[in-house]
Amino acid sequence: MQTSSIKNRRGGIDRATLSRAVQYLGRYRWQAIIPYVFLVIATLAQLMVPRMLGNIIDTITQGTIAQALVPRMDSIPEGMLDQIISAVGITEQQLLYSFENAERILIISALAILIFAILRGVFAFLQTFTAERNSQSVAFDMRNELFAKIQSLSFSYHDRNQTGQLMIRATDDVEKVRLFIGQGLLMAVGAIILLTGTLIILFSTNVRLTLIALPILPIALLLFMFFGSRMGPMFSRIQKRLDKVNTILQENLAGIKVVKAFTREASEQKKFGSAADDLMDQQIYVARLFSVLFPFVILIASLGQALVLYFGGRQIIDGTLSLGQWQEFSLYLIFLFMPAAQLGMIITQMSQASASSTRIFEILDVENELKDKPDAIVLPEVEGRVKFENVTFRYFSSGEPVLQQVDFDVEPGETVALLGATGSGKSTIINLLPRFYDPSSGSITIDGYDLRDIKIESLRRQIGIVLQETTLFAGTIRENIAYGKPEASLEDIEAAARAAAAHDEIMSFPQGYDTPVGERGTTLSGGQKQRIAIARALLLDPRILILDDSTSSVDLVTEAEIQKALDELMLGRTSFVIAQRISTVINADQILVLDEGRIVARGNHEKLLEESEIYAEIYSSQLIGDMDDQDLIELGFLGE
Amino acid sequence: MFGGGHGLSRLMGQDNIKPQNVGVTLRRFAVYFRPYWYLLVIAGVMLIGATWAQIESPKLIGQLVDCYLTPSAVSAFGNTSFAEAGGLASGAANNCTLEPDPGILSTAERLAGLGRVSLMIVGLYLMTAALTGITVYLMNWSGQHVLRQMRVELFNHMHRLSLGFYSKQEAGDLMSRIINDTDTIQQVFNFALVNVISGVLLILWIGYSMFQESFVYALISLAVVPIMIITTMWFSSQARKAFRQTRLEMGSVNAELQETISAVREVQAFSREQENIDSFMATNAANRDANIRAVSYTSALAPTLQALGYLALAIVAGVGGILLLRQQPLFGTVLSLGLVITFLNYVQRFNQPIQQIAVLWTNIQSAVAGGERIFGLMDIEPSVKDSQDAKVLPTIKGQIEFKNVYAAYTDEESVLNGISFIAEPGQTIAIVGPTGAGKTTLVNLIPRFYDVTGGSILIDGLDIRNVTKDSLREQIGIVLQDTFLFSTSVMENIRFGKPDATDEEVIAAAKLSHADSFIERLPDRYNTVLGERGSGLSQGQRQLLSIARAALSDPRILILDEATSSVDTRTERLIQKALQGLLENRTSFVIAHRLSTIRNADLLLVMDNGQIIERGKHDQLLDQQGFYHDLYMSQFRRIEPDEHKGELGQEMQQMPVGQD
Repeated sequence: MQTSSIKNRRGGIDRATLSRAVQYLGRYRWQAIIPYVFLVIATLAQLMVPRMLGNIIDTITQGTIAQALVPRMDSIPEGMLDQIISAVGITEQQLLYSFENAERILIISALAILIFAILRGVFAFLQTFTAERNSQSVAFDMRNELFAKIQSLSFSYHDRNQTGQLMIRATDDVEKVRLFIGQGLLMAVGAIILLTGTLIILFSTNVRLTLIALPILPIALLLFMFFGSRMGPMFSRIQKRLDKVNTILQENLAGIKVVKAFTREASEQKKFGSAADDLMDQQIYVARLFSVLFPFVILIASLGQALVLYFGGRQIIDGTLSLGQWQEFSLYLIFLFMPAAQLGMIITQMSQASASSTRIFEILDVENELKDKPDAIVLPEVEGRVKFENVTFRYFSSGEPVLQQVDFDVEPGETVALLGATGSGKSTIINLLPRFYDPSSGSITIDGYDLRDIKIESLRRQIGIVLQETTLFAGTIRENIAYGKPEASLEDIEAAARAAAAHDEIMSFPQGYDTPVGERGTTLSGGQKQRIAIARALLLDPRILILDDSTSSVDLVTEAEIQKALDELMLGRTSFVIAQRISTVINADQILVLDEGRIVARGNHEKLLEESEIYAEIYSSQLIGDMDDQDLIELGFLGE
Repeated sequence: MFGGGHGLSRLMGQDNIKPQNVGVTLRRFAVYFRPYWYLLVIAGVMLIGATWAQIESPKLIGQLVDCYLTPSAVSAFGNTSFAEAGGLASGAANNCTLEPDPGILSTAERLAGLGRVSLMIVGLYLMTAALTGITVYLMNWSGQHVLRQMRVELFNHMHRLSLGFYSKQEAGDLMSRIINDTDTIQQVFNFALVNVISGVLLILWIGYSMFQESFVYALISLAVVPIMIITTMWFSSQARKAFRQTRLEMGSVNAELQETISAVREVQAFSREQENIDSFMATNAANRDANIRAVSYTSALAPTLQALGYLALAIVAGVGGILLLRQQPLFGTVLSLGLVITFLNYVQRFNQPIQQIAVLWTNIQSAVAGGERIFGLMDIEPSVKDSQDAKVLPTIKGQIEFKNVYAAYTDEESVLNGISFIAEPGQTIAIVGPTGAGKTTLVNLIPRFYDVTGGSILIDGLDIRNVTKDSLREQIGIVLQDTFLFSTSVMENIRFGKPDATDEEVIAAAKLSHADSFIERLPDRYNTVLGERGSGLSQGQRQLLSIARAALSDPRILILDEATSSVDTRTERLIQKALQGLLENRTSFVIAHRLSTIRNADLLLVMDNGQIIERGKHDQLLDQQGFYHDLYMSQFRRIEPDEHKGELGQEMQQMPVGQD
């Protein structure tokens, strides 16, 4: 795969990137070519129509002349007949032929138009349809690739990129590329074919008249290109101002209570009024440009017609052009002008598609820093011995280390409590274990296997994670519990839910385990979500467990239940806990106290209370910090 | 101009809602347009002029043919007397009205005539262009002014509506409705209206002049038009149905993307990549197929119309030609070559407007429906209004009295049932009770977010319904649990409490609220621009900012809804300190969750089921051993180790902290 270049991101067209996008069509082989075959047929049929129409008109004029002349043929002096015949531009035979067959020719020509019209209609439809179908297939492929890629990218990539941004690439950007591939490209090819065909026909019928009409072509092309290049930025300016108007509206609706409470209606209204004015001004500016450019473009086209009208008329009077050819010519002139308009529009589409495909390939080309080594092995069933050796970690290679020389050993089945202020490195340790990140230096081993030598999936399958913020996915409760193990039986799922103290509540929903949850389903409370997350981890039956034992605001009974479920979960597994509860800390086999990325104290509760001041401080302030000093004194935590 | 394949599918992709009451809605739109009536009259005249010019130019071309060009075939005879003698000139029928006898014109005369008519045609073209341009501009100009006026009025009205309205509406739903509706109206004002009006006018006028020229020939020429209309209508309605499906499918694709990307950490933690890819491919394929189905209609419409247009050309030329050849009059009208060419020109102009009208018509329909909804919103009367003789509330001391207050959101269910109490100036009133007890309702009554349904609330002895809302609210500060920040700078967010505050005052308020220290660590300090709704800040930081905001406004009465959501301990302590500073010397109402607040309160109101069931100071209430006692005890259990379930006092003895 070639790498996409980022140059010319604005306005310009990056041909390499665009052609790489077009190459997606290549997967569909002959299907990709078919629209272009149809396009050629449809265009040829279209090109025939003016000629047939010209034929009809010429047949009419010749026929009328023939009807006037032939019956009187004998009464016309010999010399004069020759003169007349040569002036009309037809031979005597033709005149006779016209006389006898004019009506037949006319009907045939009209039928021919009908046939070409049908051909044109059918193939134009097929051309558009097959091209759209192909472009949808390309969009389908691109979206799938993006989806798979985004999913596989490391945590550090996702740290740097926002969901919304990535979404836009998989939706809007793909759509812009699709539009170009499905319509723009076809339109461009069609326009060029039509333009060339028309020019050939025009030059071959009447060079002089063609040369007179031709100058409107570059003028029209330039106008349309100007139009096209102006439209994009103009509309994005409108969009920006519209966004501002909408943001103010949105904030005032969502924050109506604050606005009212601080009686800020008047100033917000002023703000909104001026944003609305800005938007209106821009709209009017665009309208002004439109109302000048749009009629001007039409005028140019009409003037072309007027030129043909006049100079063609002169030629008719001279006898060098027939009426039919004259009409034909003015119809062909439309075919000259239409593709010019299309080409102008395509330029805009092309630069948009180019920018969009650059953004798409940027993602597809990201080198995933976390990948299985080629010779990575499957991690066998582990006992759960975890060892951090001199682990240092930086989020960015140049940044401050968030973990520095962290060293510890955990025996199978032990519980490790991680303590420390926000930003001390607790969550980093937890993130390194399932290899969401790789250490910048040092190593982590499980049962002696270095994490970098084993297949990521086999590692993660043996680690269960329960975080404070639980995302439930669209689907049923059952599917959510079975998230890590889709093949689990209902019995196993229920057993896990029971152990997580979630079963009774799930059964209280009318649809039980089949209750839909997630964005479009039933809303569950924080406590309910948390227990489903615990059940999810229990179902995996992992040897190693990572959890955040803080319980979000739930009522007291539920809190007790959740804590019981968590204790159940930790039993007999190697567990890493970001500890918020006193009981967890007291019961932990090992407590690691972190400060600014270093382990500043370690040991069990009793040992640390005696030895470590920092632990004592954290213990009193963080774990029982819901109370202020006076509470603590009152409760006997602190001396008077 | 706006036709095109892409535009077509985009326009058809929009939801089409039919308006209920077109007449009334249009009349209300008309009210907005009234100030610009003279512009619309001018635009109308211009439009008629432009259309007239478009009707005249094919006629002139026909005249050109009949007067100066057809006879040239005859002139090939060398303009001899023979031609006339042979009756050749009268061989073809002629509708020329510009010349009395086109048959006898000399070549020079013909050339001059050709030049004259060509110039006239150019004149008509210029006229069409200029008048169309002016029409488009005038319509747009007035349309944009109307839309701006509607936007502003709607916005101001949204401010007038009371909170009762918002509690029944999802802000998001309301928002997207307003955005969609104004957007549809915008599109109509931008181009749909002009295009449809000029399209309809053009078609009718062309039809009229065709019928004028020759009734039967017009009838034959226009035979395809009904087919065009029916086809267009059928295809657009099919396309709309199909596109409705694509919107649903696209929604699923977006939902799945959104879900997977935002929860990518969980996806990877549970190794769900492959399952997700399979599922996404299925959704994605459904989206592709729905789109292909929909596009089969849109890609058929334009070619069908084009083919029908060519068919019309064939009919006009074929029928006209045969009649000309046979020199047969058509029900009394004698056709001329010029007339055939005029008709050919007319028929070509039909195609585009029909397609445009079909597509844009529903656009206009949706806009009327959107207008209907917007006017509907504007018609909602705010339930809390200043009374006619409302006075400005003077600077208050801050005594508040609830006299047998009742409140209800709906007619059926009462939320507060006979609340009475007096808060003296400077006192802190803590309100405790389970969820749904009516705590928030009680504090919402003080700034008149809602009105009482019974009883009254007096501030310094004045009924709050007799003073203006603004003067009342200006003296009340509120810190909400769910803090709302605006996407402007930190400075502006704090200044929201007092618009005319200097930077120094803002910073002082931030210091007072202990928000200063984290603000100083932000990239641009006070000038850091916050994301939407204050994203980028933690919950605790947001709360500190909203406390600073209230501190800056320096209110006489303060209402606090303490946060329960988990903020980190350090921040929580800061918040607590900040609040304590804020409470001093103001009459404060606190929906309390923290022990310290409760203990220090001058008056505790314990609420349940919309009533005050216990009141007094902390110690008094504890001694009563009632509801509050139980509530208080359960609060302490939070900090107690799980395995110890006994009586509090004893347990604490065992806790080995800080006893030395």
